[in-house]
Amino acid sequence: MRILSSIAPLLLLIGGSLAKKAQTDSYEEFNKLAQRSSPIKLNDATYASLTTAPRNHSVAVLLTALETRFGCQLCQEFQPEWDLLGKSWTKGDKTGESRLIFGTLDFADGRETFISLGLQTAPVLMLFNPTVGPHAATSPEPSRYDFTAGPPAAEQVHSWLSRQLPNRPHPAVKRPINWLRWASTITLVLGVGTALVSASSYVLPIIQNRNIWASVSLIAILLFTSGHMFNHIRKVPYIVGDGKGGVSYIAGGFQSQLGLETQIVAAIYGILSFCAITLAVKVPRMADSKTQQVAVVVWSITLFLVYSFLLSVFRVKNGGYPFSLPPFM
Amino acid sequence: MAAKTQGPAVGYTTESTRTLLRVVILCFIAAAAISSRLFSVIRFESIIHEFDPWFNFRATKYLVANGFHKFWDWFDDRTWHPLGRVTGGTLYPGLMVTSGAIYHALRTLTIPVDIRNICVLLAPACSGLTAFATYLLTNEMTTSPSAGLLAAVFMGIAPGYISRSVAGSYDNEAIAIFLLVFTFYLWIKALKLGSMLWGALCALFYGYMVASWGGYAFITCLLPVHALVLIAMGRYSTRLYVSYTTWYALGTLASMQIPFVGFLPIKTSEHMPALGIFGFIQLIGFIQYVRSAISGRQFQTFLVTILVATFGLGLLGLVALTSLGYVAPWSGRFYSLWDTGYAKIHIPIIASVSEHQPTAWPSFFFDLNFLIWLFPAGVYLCFQDLKDEHVFVVVYALFGSYFAGVMVRLMLTLTPVVCVAAAMAASQILDTYLSWKSATPVEEQEAPKKVKGGLRGSEKPNVGIYSNLTKVMVSGSMLVYLLMFVSHCTWVTSNAYSSPSVVLASRMPDGSQHIIDDYREAYQWLRQNTKEDAKVMSWWDYGYQIGGMADRPTLVDNNTWNNTHIATVGKAMSSREEVSYPIMRQHEVDYVLVVFGALLGYSGDDINKFLWMVRIAEGIWPDEVKERDFFTPQGEYRVDEGATETMKNSLMYKMSYYNYASLFPAGQAADRVRGVRIPDQGPVLNTLEEAFTSENWIIRIYKVKDLDNIGRDHANAAAFERGQKKKKPTKKRGARVLRVD
Repeated sequence: MRILSSIAPLLLLIGGSLAKKAQTDSYEEFNKLAQRSSPIKLNDATYASLTTAPRNHSVAVLLTALETRFGCQLCQEFQPEWDLLGKSWTKGDKTGESRLIFGTLDFADGRETFISLGLQTAPVLMLFNPTVGPHAATSPEPSRYDFTAGPPAAEQVHSWLSRQLPNRPHPAVKRPINWLRWASTITLVLGVGTALVSASSYVLPIIQNRNIWASVSLIAILLFTSGHMFNHIRKVPYIVGDGKGGVSYIAGGFQSQLGLETQIVAAIYGILSFCAITLAVKVPRMADSKTQQVAVVVWSITLFLVYSFLLSVFRVKNGGYPFSLPPFM
Repeated sequence: MAAKTQGPAVGYTTESTRTLLRVVILCFIAAAAISSRLFSVIRFESIIHEFDPWFNFRATKYLVANGFHKFWDWFDDRTWHPLGRVTGGTLYPGLMVTSGAIYHALRTLTIPVDIRNICVLLAPACSGLTAFATYLLTNEMTTSPSAGLLAAVFMGIAPGYISRSVAGSYDNEAIAIFLLVFTFYLWIKALKLGSMLWGALCALFYGYMVASWGGYAFITCLLPVHALVLIAMGRYSTRLYVSYTTWYALGTLASMQIPFVGFLPIKTSEHMPALGIFGFIQLIGFIQYVRSAISGRQFQTFLVTILVATFGLGLLGLVALTSLGYVAPWSGRFYSLWDTGYAKIHIPIIASVSEHQPTAWPSFFFDLNFLIWLFPAGVYLCFQDLKDEHVFVVVYALFGSYFAGVMVRLMLTLTPVVCVAAAMAASQILDTYLSWKSATPVEEQEAPKKVKGGLRGSEKPNVGIYSNLTKVMVSGSMLVYLLMFVSHCTWVTSNAYSSPSVVLASRMPDGSQHIIDDYREAYQWLRQNTKEDAKVMSWWDYGYQIGGMADRPTLVDNNTWNNTHIATVGKAMSSREEVSYPIMRQHEVDYVLVVFGALLGYSGDDINKFLWMVRIAEGIWPDEVKERDFFTPQGEYRVDEGATETMKNSLMYKMSYYNYASLFPAGQAADRVRGVRIPDQGPVLNTLEEAFTSENWIIRIYKVKDLDNIGRDHANAAAFERGQKKKKPTKKRGARVLRVD
């Protein structure tokens, strides 16, 4: 970055001196720069010289606001993707056949440009088509990328650019191999493997413990049947207000639910299942008749009450449901 | 019902009486299962329901009329115009062949029966068989005499299964669920006995299942997972080896006979677990043999290491082959089960189908009622014994509930295991509390031996229940729950799952039933008033119905095999007339059909589905169709005065609201679905003319105008027709001259 910033004024000088001589040569200059580091970091002056009207190259400029004080989440998230795209495009097109220059103009360096374009939001991605040369477009107006769908991946922007630039090579996005991640994954796998083998005398009883497997399976089943996957896919809110300052635990409507609601339902199912298990398995094994009688009464009443409550919750979801049990009528 | 008959303690019931009782009860269960599915036939008539069944019905008619070989080679040029569809090679023929066979069998018995009635009643008939298969499967799981019967009752009337098998829903699932349960039963049987015969039978029914339903992949994945879990638990046995290899070898061969499946079993990822476990089990078999021949502790450790390493290497190899493109990656529909966000981004057509949505908890309770909380209890009971077959129930329960949570339609595959597990729990409770024998206290010194690896709480001996009061209490409340379950199922079936959706029913103010029959009215109109080969363009949902009821060629239908073609229709619907007209001309479209519910308040109409058309079209032409343009700057999807220009100019909007305001007094036009006022000045159509609108305006059909006779564009011609004089630029004429020769 520091090298760049020292080069930029130099480049300006060159650019300014060459501008009059041969306007079309500005591409060569910028391309040389881009070979060193793409996307090029622009400022007001370089932006102007890069996008001035008679140009025989395309320019893709990202106008962004990276400084933290602007709090532009989208800019921050998109920047690495944009850098990756610029880098891999320029690398894949060494000869400059596509005649596309990538540039980034941060608000800190290009306040004037932002004002002159009347930009209120960032990021903005503009593609300037060439006005002269074989790929000249009819309209000098740049086309804009639509950021409404959240931060796009480099591939998405790549396909947008490819559509805008027909009959030219479109070097594919090459994601660098994340060596660190591979290394850490392999180390982790080996480490865990070693740990398991060396601690097998402690781990094996846990793995082979039927109680643990039973409880894990039951919890998983309870989660799935109480709509956890729906929460996961639809990203429902955990809890919402009821508009009167309180909280509503149950979402109205058959096809919607809240995070807390599913947990309540899972708990209800859990209690009901536990009662059933106790009645079926535990109680007949009680040796003392008094204890057994108390246990049966307690658990079957709990079962009845909780089931009645479940039905009343379900009636909230489905208004026309006709069945209920006392006491939650 | 089941509880009354068990009476194991009663002396005079001999074995044969019990068998007789069982048969009678099973017959009653089958009768209950069938009759609870007949609501729609009684309320409406014997009619095929919904969308896909209409295709199956059409294919069955073709099969019956033309014979099996022609059906196998059927190229259908009346769908997907102008592409056509190799129907014989792209469908699961099991359903059609089954009904065709029944039809011919009845014919040979000189019972004259309409093929339509066979198609309508096939699903209820199969549900009786499913109940029986569930009975067999449950009997393999437990020794309790009542569990099987309870499971059969549950399966017979559980709404989760009824939802796909009422009379008239002539879909693949109708027979597939029976085959699914029966294949599982045969698998358990084969595994228990280590019998090649049962394994071969299992493969046979697996082949039938593959021929019937795309959901066969559930079996293809579940059996290897079961085998793998057994191996991991150290329960490899020759029984497992024999049953698995028999099933895999024969079953794969059988499945490859279906043209639609073909070589997929060795090429796609969803079949790879079965193939991998097949190879793995060979290796284990070999090592077991070596181990039995050679002793030596170190050698055995070495072997185990080899085993684990081979497994890991095999997995790596599979990943490598997939990434290199030799093995097809998971197809979209399967992949979206794991990566749940995948479909929404990459395949909107899958995400657009309502039955592919995730399941909210009320649906589980709605479809399974009290079984949903008996189900975990039943799974817990499986952990008590944890024999091989119980492991199967546990594995099935875990996968089934995961899949059912991700996709609403997979509730269907969960239902059988819920019924089995819940019946095990219910029968355990009923057996314990309905026994007349009072408990006898066990002597103290008879200390129970600690069984290693058992469940906590089940080490002590089962003594039974002492007090009669508690017995009455528990069995009484169980009876209440069972009765409520029956009434719940009846209520759900009657209210939610018995609508043919081709015919709608509503209540008049005086409580009498009013039938809304717009669909059939419109399709009948098409059949009688249009040319035999008039192409009808509509959204793909109605393709099968138009093909089945109106017998007219369609551009796209519910098969959805060609996303681009569907996107083309989406683009035509969501673009301006000037853009749509050339598209329609290129596809030789004669009529366009839209579904419009605003007058009646019918919410499943095309305007509500419109955004999916836009999204699917945008996937192919991102520069020409943009979803954003259909939303107002405030981000609302509006159809009233404030609708965006793109929305107002789209063909779909114009066709829906054309002349709609003229039904109402000025300023009163309202859309009852979206609950908004519609502007009095309706849209203007230039390239289409209204051909037909059904009684309640649900279906509107437009005819595509021919090119103008004198070469004007349509906007001009239509303006002229309306009497709007076009301001002609006054031509400068030269001075009049006489003709000079």
